[in-house]
Amino acid sequence: MDREPLIHRKTAISYKTEEKTVMRGYDLSELAEEGYSFCDALFVMYQNRIPTAEEEKMLKYEMGVFMEHSMSPSAVAAIGVSAGRPNLPCAVAAAVSTFGGVHGPGAAHGYMLNKYLERAKKEGKTVDEMAKTLVDEYMDAGRPVMGMGQPQHIDSDPRAEPIHLRQEELEIEGVYLEFQRALEKHFHARRKKEGRSYVGVNVVGSGNTALMEIGFSPNAGWCLGSVCRGFSCAAHALFNMKKGRAWGASRNEPMVQMIDLSMIKYLGPEDRIVPKQEDRQEYARKQKEEGEYKKWVI
Amino acid sequence: MGNLTEKPELNEKKGEIGNLDSPKNPFDYMKREYGTVPLDTKRAPFQWVSEVAYKNVHRIVSRGYDTTEVMEEGYGVVDMLFIDYQARIPLVEEEQMLNYVMILALEDGLSMPAVMSRMVAKSKTFLTQAAGASILAFGHAYGAYSAFGNRLEQYLNKAEAEGISLGQAAELLVKENIHDEALGVSNLMLKDPAAKRMMARAEKLGVAGKYIEFTKEIVKAAQKLSDEPVDLDMMGATGATMLDLGFSPEATWAILAVTRAFATGAHYIEEVERDGYCRTGQTLTPKEFYDGPEDRPVPPLKDRSKVAKSGICQSVDEWVAAREERKKIVGSGHSIVEEIEDPSKKSGIRKVGKL
Repeated sequence: MDREPLIHRKTAISYKTEEKTVMRGYDLSELAEEGYSFCDALFVMYQNRIPTAEEEKMLKYEMGVFMEHSMSPSAVAAIGVSAGRPNLPCAVAAAVSTFGGVHGPGAAHGYMLNKYLERAKKEGKTVDEMAKTLVDEYMDAGRPVMGMGQPQHIDSDPRAEPIHLRQEELEIEGVYLEFQRALEKHFHARRKKEGRSYVGVNVVGSGNTALMEIGFSPNAGWCLGSVCRGFSCAAHALFNMKKGRAWGASRNEPMVQMIDLSMIKYLGPEDRIVPKQEDRQEYARKQKEEGEYKKWVI
Repeated sequence: MGNLTEKPELNEKKGEIGNLDSPKNPFDYMKREYGTVPLDTKRAPFQWVSEVAYKNVHRIVSRGYDTTEVMEEGYGVVDMLFIDYQARIPLVEEEQMLNYVMILALEDGLSMPAVMSRMVAKSKTFLTQAAGASILAFGHAYGAYSAFGNRLEQYLNKAEAEGISLGQAAELLVKENIHDEALGVSNLMLKDPAAKRMMARAEKLGVAGKYIEFTKEIVKAAQKLSDEPVDLDMMGATGATMLDLGFSPEATWAILAVTRAFATGAHYIEEVERDGYCRTGQTLTPKEFYDGPEDRPVPPLKDRSKVAKSGICQSVDEWVAAREERKKIVGSGHSIVEEIEDPSKKSGIRKVGKL
């Protein structure tokens, strides 16, 4: 059996021989035998260190509370993909890939915190002053402040504040939590001053703050969150594959299905005749000149 | 609401269009309606249906447990896997065992999921795109936990139905599947004790059950039948342990593929940090890698009829002969036969890939 490497790369993450698999210097089997947790292993993977017990507890909490979120874009993607009955990993991969600039934007939030903390240092401002600067700059520009607001949990995200509290209880508050708390304070104050409704912190705002606090980079934190969600999305896909209808369009189900024809609402151009080829040039030229098509261009 | 309508004013003006007026058609295309389908008020409106979880403005509830309360009570992400997939709180020992399994499944060096993540990373994507892509590496050879688990179920059922012993069922399984990549026994772990240690840990924690017992019989049978030294590998140890923890073959497949994706995020990061991105057209393929047809001149277009050979086969014999020739063209796909079926019914049991 060919056991040659698939690609030739230097890597500081791990190596694997016939005898063992070693990650950041630790034999994986030894790590498990010693009784470390999977969350401990993630610290070794991303930070090359064994975490404190409190840090491990924080990660365990954050991942646990983030894993399941019922119908979010990620679960919907997994269910949508599973409707065609590909292999299960396709649905899970799609779910993880939904995490972008809006759905669970962990890295974006992390980079935002890092950028403004760097500015605080450079500009000689306190954390509180810089948090206000961030809020003002984002809101003046009409940009959403990362980590604030959730479209479904409109009162307050049930995961968010408890994560902050747990971080405080575990006594692992640092500059990130200080910054995030200050950001929230100034965000609430500005919205109140502008007569706008209350918008609470979301799970990215608190969860990612905790992840950054315990040493994960923005991208590492993003990976932990989005991949963790993959666990539950796989369960949703599996439920639909084992107990649901393929395609999601059957008319024999008592409930209208996800992509039943009646679920389609069309807002595009009126029904029209396809031009004959002999009329094509003139038709196309006129269409281009009139320019009405431009309102449909996406 | 929908607006299904005949629209004769459109249909009548069209005249003939291609073959749409052909009498061979079982329909009159020009009488077909336009417009969208009205909402079906005779059936319940569509809703996302789930046995797994729901949420409202204030709570997220999985299998009946408020997930924030689950964490506040001191449980963690590993416990949540039992809740989501099995609708139950695991025993402490089960939680410990799953932690153990997930640590071992986390990293596997520069294996296929890591390579996929790195390749996607080089195209300057989001990390999530690379981590998602790495999950696609889990098939019916690499990370084939669905295939492995379903096979165990199949032969255990056979043993029960036919009244044969576990040893006999194991021998039968090995005879019929000895070359399968998901056998769980191979020469891959002859020097690495990790797989055997995993099963030993399951036994020590008291979570080992019929799947580990059966897998041990499979190892014995394979060692008897194989021409070369073989032993339990990570597929066998992990797959059997997960089944004994109560996870279905498909749940095992998904959980372990996702577990690895945590590591492929690190591979994405390292790839970007060390080597940067790759542009369109940047990567060369040296000629010494190439073993296709020799370099040859493109025939002038006017000579097409002289040089072109039709691919149409007029008889089955002709088709069989042509197919054999086509199989020799590597990359054409003619030498691969697959059965693409609904994996939700019998996931991963059918042989997938080359003949």
